[in-house]
Order: sequence, then structure tokens, then C-alpha cells
Amino acid sequence: MKTTQKIQQKLKNNFLFPKFLALFSLFISAVFLVIGFLSFFSIIDLSINKLLALITSVILSAAFFFLAKGFYTLQNWARTTLLSILLLVILVLLVKIIFEFSSIVFAGKQVLSIGEILKYIGEYFLRTILYISIPGILFYFLYECDEVFSETPKQRHMFDYTVKNFLLGTALSSILIVIFIFIFTFQESELAISEIGLNELLTGTIWRPGAIIGTGESHFGLVPMIIGSIYSTIGAIIIGIPLSFGTAILLAEIAPHSIRTIFRTAIELLSGIPSVVYGLFGMVVIAPLIRMIPIEGNTTGFGILNASIILSIMILPTVTNITEDAIRAVPQSYREASYALGATHWQTIKDVVLPAANSGIIAAVILGISRALGETMALIMVIGNSIAIPSPINDNPLSIIFSTARTLTGNIAVEINYASGAHRSALFFTGVLLFLFLLIINRLANHIMKEKKTS
Amino acid sequence: MNNSLTKQQRMAAARDKINHKPNIRKRRLIQSLAFTFLWIMGFTAIAVLIWIVGYVFVKGFPAINMEFLTTRPAGGFDGEGGISTTIVTTVYLVIFTLAIAAPLGIGAAIYFVEYANEGQARNKIVRWLIKAARTGVEILAGVPSIIFGLFGFAIFVSYLKLGFSLLSAGLSGACLVLPVIIRTTEEALLAVPESYREGSLGLGATKWQTVTGVVLPAAIPGIVTGIVLSVGRIISETAIFWVTLGGSYRLPQNLMSSGRTLALHVYMLATETRAFDKAMGTSAILIIIIIILNLAINLSSKYFQKRLSGK
Repeated sequence: MKTTQKIQQKLKNNFLFPKFLALFSLFISAVFLVIGFLSFFSIIDLSINKLLALITSVILSAAFFFLAKGFYTLQNWARTTLLSILLLVILVLLVKIIFEFSSIVFAGKQVLSIGEILKYIGEYFLRTILYISIPGILFYFLYECDEVFSETPKQRHMFDYTVKNFLLGTALSSILIVIFIFIFTFQESELAISEIGLNELLTGTIWRPGAIIGTGESHFGLVPMIIGSIYSTIGAIIIGIPLSFGTAILLAEIAPHSIRTIFRTAIELLSGIPSVVYGLFGMVVIAPLIRMIPIEGNTTGFGILNASIILSIMILPTVTNITEDAIRAVPQSYREASYALGATHWQTIKDVVLPAANSGIIAAVILGISRALGETMALIMVIGNSIAIPSPINDNPLSIIFSTARTLTGNIAVEINYASGAHRSALFFTGVLLFLFLLIINRLANHIMKEKKTS
Repeated sequence: MNNSLTKQQRMAAARDKINHKPNIRKRRLIQSLAFTFLWIMGFTAIAVLIWIVGYVFVKGFPAINMEFLTTRPAGGFDGEGGISTTIVTTVYLVIFTLAIAAPLGIGAAIYFVEYANEGQARNKIVRWLIKAARTGVEILAGVPSIIFGLFGFAIFVSYLKLGFSLLSAGLSGACLVLPVIIRTTEEALLAVPESYREGSLGLGATKWQTVTGVVLPAAIPGIVTGIVLSVGRIISETAIFWVTLGGSYRLPQNLMSSGRTLALHVYMLATETRAFDKAMGTSAILIIIIIILNLAINLSSKYFQKRLSGK
């Protein structure tokens, strides 16, 4: 402890170290310049464009020259720059070592035995120290001798200004991603619109990418998938909404605190479970159960009913949380006024609290629908994925819930990896359709919730 | 209809309503029926959770043993092998995705909370940009994962020719968790009392020194909550990685190689093989990880609240 403090003390008043760094940067600058000119006059071959090599080397050389000047005059920005470069170098080295290490330990058919792993850990530990020692020591020294460097108020202001704009840049990354999503999915779906036509895409009832079937004739009608998505979502709403609303009212109004804590933890867990696990559960548990329902033609257990059940469980946390928040946001005075008029607890909930929370509840349903429409992998696993329009499996029109179907999202995920040409473009068009639709209904839900808050 | 009644009739009806004795017993009965219904709904929700988790655990635990954890998947119709490489790939992907998303998200949140309401924001263009950025976060939060997958497939896999790789998958996954990180970090920063900032600024520190030296350290437990939440999202995500990560069961040798995460492995086992027991085992491991992450979130948020209220 004492020695490190001594080192720190010494470093803090050490002017030699920055001067040495200045010399070093100057040296690197000179090296770059020499290499650039040597390659320009064809004395050494860098196997890239000569002019490009010269320009790059001159720029790098200039950069290091400025760094050298900064170190010589003890400017803080030079220190910051070198610190970031060193950090980057250390990170790259670490990544390289980690990949090397794990490709030795894990890449074989079987993970190595513990003894061998320990051996490799020791070896790689030594190598890590060896690799990182030079940049690490430089980093440490530079980090500690901060008092030697100085900056003028103007520079400090410049730095703050730069940071501010850099942070604005990071804040804009989200809208940039949205714009990129628009541009790229639209651009990819252009071919489908021009070659297949909006009319067939939106009203065609046959989805038959010719390349798969082998016949030249191909149809790209999205109607079967649209209907599949709508049916499974409606089913999820019918099953899931009573469950979610019941739970939300229970948690917000009736349940004692201890039970509420338990339920909330459970619902959080429910929202965290990966969708593939729900899909697997649907395949292994729900499908055999549905198969047991004695109805003519009910043979697979996969289909809209199964998808609706799984979806209703998946939207439960979303709808429950938003509904509960909306109910809790109703002012306590509303309830008290209702009790004072002689209403029972249930009458208060039914006639006062729920109407007051209605916009939040509508928003919850909309977000539930959006969640259900966007779900992909779990549905692929349970809905059967037939590309025909879902139809009743026997005379009873209600038996349509046992019919297999395919959703828009599932269609994309199943076929995108091998699709090409118009087929691929049609899938991107599906994505655009979905994106726009969900964008609209999400904005609607947000709008409803915000309106409530401000009023 | 009411207009057709005479005044006397209407008054009589009103008097009837006032004099009508509420039937307390009937109302209580309705209330208890309704409450029973609500309790049934609530317990059904919990029962479903217990059913799913219990089933996966009961069916999955027999498949989990040391060999399962330490062998590489071998492919084939029987789903031979274990899950060793998928665990490593998942860890890689989580680290890589967060390495991209965390700086971006935390930076954006710092801007929204600390900078968006002052000085520079008086500029009309900047104000418009801030509004656009906020809308962007809102939109991103509602985009379904398959759209991120399509986007990643279009831009990273095909356009930038990165192929099915950790790089493409990590970049697409970063889009998914970016709004999560921004929102939680924003909340954490907003929870830091204004007096902290005033104290630091009063000592002569610059804005950036205040942010890095005072506000961020105070908000770290809240930020960690966001990071842990994103870890959960990445681990349980399948659709994005299905279209950007490929699905090779070999170990990724660098950032450009394809791989398979745990969740993707479950999907592939369930749809392409008949090894449902192994799929269940992998699912059980996934659920255990999610439970641990949830516990971590609860603990860290409790610690955060205690720390901010305690001082």
C-alpha cells in the first residue's frame, strides 16, 4: 500500500514521463511518414494503392505529431487520447486471448478435463500478462500522473461541447436505427411490389413460392398468413384478456400486500421465460391435450387453438402490468367517494375504478395485440405452418380453431434463410406490412396513455 | 322515451328509485361471486406459470448432467450431444451485444436526462432532434423481434456481407436491447437527487465531470438493473438470431463465425430432431438463468432504492 502511494506521489510530479511519450509519438509519426514515402516511390510494397498509402500515412503521421506536441506541452487532451487508444488495444488483445482460450477448451467434442483446463488457464494467464503488460503499464502511469497535465478553460469548454454533441449522437442512434429499418426493408421489398404487384400480395389467396415446389408458376398471396395472424391473435385476446384483467384487478384492488408481491414476482418470471420454451411447452404438453378432444378430423393438436393458448400466456404479463398500473393510477378519492355513497367494494371497482382507468385498459389490450402479432418462434412451433387458408376441419364452422395455419411473422422466419429474388422480396414486404401496422397501433396505444396522463 | 311520460310519472319513478331499499345481501353475494372469479383468474395465471416451469424442470432435470453440459452438440436427427458450445456462444453474444448497446444506450440516456433540457436545447434544430430521438426510442421499444431480424438480415448479413455471424447477430441484438437500456438508465438517472448535481457544479466541476464523477456512480445500481434485463432479453431471444446467427453448433472461432445460442438450440432440437428430453433440459437451464437474473434485478433495485433514500 505504501509503495503504491509512493509511486503515485512520484508520478504525479514526474515531468520526464510525458516528455518520453512525446518523443515516442514523434518517432511513430516519423516512421509513418517514412513508410508512406517509401511506398510512394515503390521502394517497399504495401499492396495497396500508392497514393492512398501516402495520404493515410501523412494523416497518421500528422496525428501522432500533434499528439507529440500535446505531450510536450503537457496538454490533457493528449493524455485522454492516448488513454483511449491504450484501452482499445487492451480490449482487442483480451478478445483475441479469450477466443483463443475458449477455442482450445470448448471447441473439441468434449470440454477438456478440469486438470487440463487449469493448465490452460495458467498458461493463458501468463500470456495475458505478457500481452497486456506494456499497454497496461503505460495506461497505469498515464492514469496516475494526471496532475502533470493541464488544460485551459477554453479546452475544457471544447471538451464539454464535444462530449455533449457526441452524446446527442448516441441519443440519435435510436431514430437512425428506425430510419435504417425503413430504408432497408422498403428497398428490399421494392422488387416484390414491382414484379408481383400490391394487388396480388394483399389479395392473393395462394402462397406458393415456385422455387420450392419446382414448377415455374409461383404465387405470392399473403391472405392465408394475414388470416392466420388475425385468428390466432383474436384467440389469444379471448383467452388471455379475462385472465389478465382478472389478475390485474385482483392485484391492484383486492389482494393483500404479501400475495401481491408473490404474484408480481411470478408474472415477472412469466414475462422473462424465452418464447421457445413456451413453444416447446405447446408442442409437448398442449398439443397432446388438444388431440384428446373428441372431434372429427382433430388429429394433430397443432393449430390456431394451440397457438391462441400459448399466445394468451405470453401476452398475460404485458396486459396485466399495464392494466394494473392504470387501475393504480385512479385517485384514491374516487374510491372513497364511492364508498361514502354506500357502494360495495365490487360496485366501486365495477362502476368507478374501471371506467376511470378505461384508457389505460384499452392501451393494455392494444399492446397485447401488438405483442401477439409480433410473436414468432413460439407460434412456428405450435401453429402447424400450413400455407392454406385456415378452414373448419368438419361441418361445424367453429372447428376452424383446430385448423392449422401460418402467421405473417412465422412465414418470414421459416422461409427467409433460403429465399431469393421475388420470393425474398415478398417476405420483406411482409415485414414492411407488419412493421407499419404495429407502428400505427403502438403509437395509438402510447397516444391513449399519454392523453390520459396529461388530462 | 322519457319525453312521453308526464311530469308526475317521472317524479314517481324518481321517488321509487330513491325509496328503493338496496338489497345488501344480494350485493354482498354478487361481490363475493365477483371476487371469487377474480381470485380464480389470478390463481389460474400462477398455476399456468407453475405448470410450465414445473413441467420443464421435471422433464428437463433428468437430462442435465455433467456430460450434457460439457459435450458439444453433434447434430443429426437424434440430437446427439450436449450443449457446451451453445453456452459459450450465448456468453459471447451477450457480451458482444452489450458492448455495443450499453455505451450507446447509457450515452443516450445521459443526454436525455442531463443535457436535453438546457442550454443547447434552446436551438430549434436540436430540440427537433431530441424529439425525434425520443420518438425513435418509443418506436424501437414496440418493434417485434422478427423485424429486427429482417433488418439485420438485410443490412448486416447481405448488404455489408458479414454473413451469418456473431457480428451480425450482436449488432441486430443491440437494436433490440437499446430501448431497454435507455429507459432503465433514464429512470436511474432521474432518481438521483438534483442536490447531488448542484453540489458538484457548485464546487466548480464541469457538466461532464459532474455526470461521470457524481451522477453515474450514484445511478450505477439502476443502470446495472437495465443491463441485467437486457442480458435476459438476449438470452431468451430466438427470432433475431435465427435469421442472423446461422445455427452452426460448432464453437465460434472469431466474431465472423456462425453459432447457436441456448434458445436457438432449443428451437432446433424441437423442430429438427426428436430429442425432446434434451430440448427440455436446455429449457430448464434457460429458466434457471432467467430466475437468477430476476433475483439479481430485484436485489439491485432494492439496493438502489435503499442507497438513494438512505443518504
